Amino acid sequence: MTQQVQFTKAVGNASEINELLRRYGVKFGIYKNGVFNEQFFPFDPIPRVITAEDFQSMEKGLAQRVKALNEFLFDIYHEKKIVHDGIIPEDFIYISKGYLAECEGITPKNNVYSHISGIDLVQAKNGEWYILEDNLRIPSGASYPLIARDLTRIAAPQAFEENPIIDNRGYAELLKETMENVNCGGARAILTPGRYNAAYFEHSYLAELTDSVLVQNDELFVEDNILYYHTYSGGKSRIGVLYRRIADEYLDPLTFLPESLIGIPNLMEAYRSGNVGIINAPGNGVADDKGIYYFVPKMIKYYLGEEPILKNAPTYLPFYEEDMKYVMEHLDKLVIKDVAEAGGYGVVFGSKLTKEKLEEFRKTIIAEPRRFIAQEVIDFLDLPIIEDNETVMRKADLRAFVLSGAETKVWASGLTRFSRNPDSFVVNSSQGGGFKDTWVLSR
Amino acid sequence: MGTISLEHSDRLYWLGRYTERFFTTMKALGRQFDKMIGTEHGYTDYLNCFGLPDIYTDNRDFIRRLLFDKNNANSAAYSLERAYDNGIVLREEISTDSLSFLQMAIDTMYKAQQSSNVRLALLPLEDIVYSFWGSINEHIYDDEIRNIIYIGKTVERLDMYIRMKYPFNIVEKEFVRLLKNLNRVPKGTPYRYSTKYLSDLVEILGTEEDYMKDAEKAVDSLGHLFETEEVFV
Amino acid sequence: MKRVNFFYSTKLTFDDYVHNHSFALRVIPPETDTQHILSCSLNIAPYIPTKQTVDAFGNNVTAGYMRDDHRFLDFEIKGSAQVNHNKRRTDYMPCYLYQSQYTKPDNGLKTFYESIKKKCTGTVAEKAEYICNILSGTVEYEKGFTDTTTTAEQAFALKKGVCQDFSHILISLLRMEGIPARYIAGLAFCDGETHSWVEYWTGDHWEGIDPANNCPVNDDYIVISQGRDFRDCAIDRGVMFGKYTKQLQLVRSEMT
Repeated sequence: MTQQVQFTKAVGNASEINELLRRYGVKFGIYKNGVFNEQFFPFDPIPRVITAEDFQSMEKGLAQRVKALNEFLFDIYHEKKIVHDGIIPEDFIYISKGYLAECEGITPKNNVYSHISGIDLVQAKNGEWYILEDNLRIPSGASYPLIARDLTRIAAPQAFEENPIIDNRGYAELLKETMENVNCGGARAILTPGRYNAAYFEHSYLAELTDSVLVQNDELFVEDNILYYHTYSGGKSRIGVLYRRIADEYLDPLTFLPESLIGIPNLMEAYRSGNVGIINAPGNGVADDKGIYYFVPKMIKYYLGEEPILKNAPTYLPFYEEDMKYVMEHLDKLVIKDVAEAGGYGVVFGSKLTKEKLEEFRKTIIAEPRRFIAQEVIDFLDLPIIEDNETVMRKADLRAFVLSGAETKVWASGLTRFSRNPDSFVVNSSQGGGFKDTWVLSR
Repeated sequence: MGTISLEHSDRLYWLGRYTERFFTTMKALGRQFDKMIGTEHGYTDYLNCFGLPDIYTDNRDFIRRLLFDKNNANSAAYSLERAYDNGIVLREEISTDSLSFLQMAIDTMYKAQQSSNVRLALLPLEDIVYSFWGSINEHIYDDEIRNIIYIGKTVERLDMYIRMKYPFNIVEKEFVRLLKNLNRVPKGTPYRYSTKYLSDLVEILGTEEDYMKDAEKAVDSLGHLFETEEVFV
Repeated sequence: MKRVNFFYSTKLTFDDYVHNHSFALRVIPPETDTQHILSCSLNIAPYIPTKQTVDAFGNNVTAGYMRDDHRFLDFEIKGSAQVNHNKRRTDYMPCYLYQSQYTKPDNGLKTFYESIKKKCTGTVAEKAEYICNILSGTVEYEKGFTDTTTTAEQAFALKKGVCQDFSHILISLLRMEGIPARYIAGLAFCDGETHSWVEYWTGDHWEGIDPANNCPVNDDYIVISQGRDFRDCAIDRGVMFGKYTKQLQLVRSEMT
């Protein structure tokens, strides 16, 4: 802890860097009462520091986890051995909203499903890292530490001279390799729902860094099961890999939601025919379902024959009788998560409920056991942040990015988000959090 | 990178137009500011150029609102917002650096609005806009694509100059610049000129006499310059 | 075993020109254990190149794209098949046990299921026949009250519907009973348009049942497409652009 505080001066002052971030348009969009606003994502200049030793084991653990998750996705959309062998009950797969029967039998290029995985971790007070959740659909956030690093190196070069910090700006190259690994012949493209999307900055910034065309659905069409975009001279140009930043259900109105206005008709036909790579693969939601999370350590053993290196937060499934009993007995101490919700919503801390609410909630869990998971509240290691020129301690998590190309690589950085509210455990940017740079030390 | 999309070419054109409209408006308001010192309602000639109604209480109100009122479609702030709207969706074509100058311009406008000496506070804008154009020049490698944003810029400048009755020799120079840009546009692409309207312009802007007489028609022809012509076989 | 000739056509006419029209047709009957396709030709007008794939549920998908202005899209299939329901289909997918978009029951449908559950006994086939029988006494076949967006719970609340609605309600009930079931769109001798019925999984193969007619499926039925519910089976789906895209659809089918 003391080591972290001493970096405070080293990375310049918050307003300088926030001014630079402003200038480069580092924003995220947010809707309040139906009105779109762009907000600057507040940056805190005290970095989170991950020692070389910590990172080595974290790197191994994350790569192991993502490899197992990729194997799982391949298995689920093909033979389903893990279900037949009784490791995961069938219900958990097919009731999951993320499971898409439409994707059965499709084999993505090089068998990669989760090209870009965002794994959320927290560090407990005892120094141990725990996995909080896996994000295998469209995890966002890599662009923020990436551009912040560029700017902190300008604002405080001495910090980078004095500390052995691994340069994180190779992310663009890593992403490009990952895209190329599944390119089926054509341009790289990033599909955005438009500038009013919360992560629009990221979409356009990554397009710039990876030399990709940034497109919206109405610029695209599928002809002869090949994906093209309309060029300005009236012709067409082929897209070989599509890094899409829209949800599965909206991807193709002729396969999924017919009312989707942001999708590309017949994209799934082009994909099934092997004419375009889609990053991440449609259907990945079955693997990052909060209910499936419980089974990831079992997957690692099942597919890789290895012991999991990184731990899950202790989790209970009310679906199992034994776990239900425990949950009922300890409801006031546990955190309960609705498996269908995301973005920090649907998270309830038993300790914060009134007696009546607790009883009400108990009934809901008994009525729909499959809908919830329960976890022990981890005693987070708080991180220092600067607020009004004072250093205060706040909850923070870490989103690590794992890229699966020809090899599975862990980005030596990540997005550290913190809660600005002293009482809150929720660090999501859509709920008003800020971010820090994440330094991974080389020694 | 491959060829740009149709949508992006359109955005580039309008980015050029709005950035230029912002810049020319700023400069014109600067001169107007100077002219108005010591007058009352010294802005009517400005409004007349654009056929705008006088809805302003005094010189100060006029300047404030034409500079900063984002809801006034003739204000500098409005044009800058529209430039930003078009720029923000072109990051990967024009670069984060180019875009940062638009953000700086917005921030500078915001600061100037709070400042006690508005004109002084607005001075850096000129540097910022020139830097923007330098950055555009640096970051768009394809001549054909870069040409689109310059066409937008020149069309807008010519339009504003003619409306504000700039002297013939200055308008003529800008028109020659536009002709050079137009000559580079391949047939069958969206910014290929319509022969009919271009020949109108050539005629009107050919002599000072015609320019004085037919300025309104010139503005009209400029507005139709990229209309596709119907082809009858 | 029976040899049948089939014909099916759809004419889509638009009020005004449309363009950038993408479509996916699920209209070419699949080759299965119970139906051997002897011949099948698909004609589309105006002429445009198309591509064929097979989707996750085993349906033949014909995809096409028309960039230029047009005012109609017609397609028809013509062919013949050897149908033999003594053979058995075994192409199982676990998703058929779970409720899907159109079949998710509300309280009305759940209560109805609870009320018939006790008497629903015996083999899977007996259970299916029992439920189908009760259903046909509860819901009336009547056109004009439901459309292609009507769900099982909506149709059940109306107590009226057409073959599509009968199929959705039956599937919903079968799945509540723990019997995997799937939706079939196809052609049958009884119908001048397309027909729909249900297949349930006995434990080792699929059996067809026609809830709209409350009868088992025989060699007079030809499968065109199959899936969890109507959404997976729609014979034509399309997205197009134009000022007025109100469309008129004329459908005709024949079996001999």
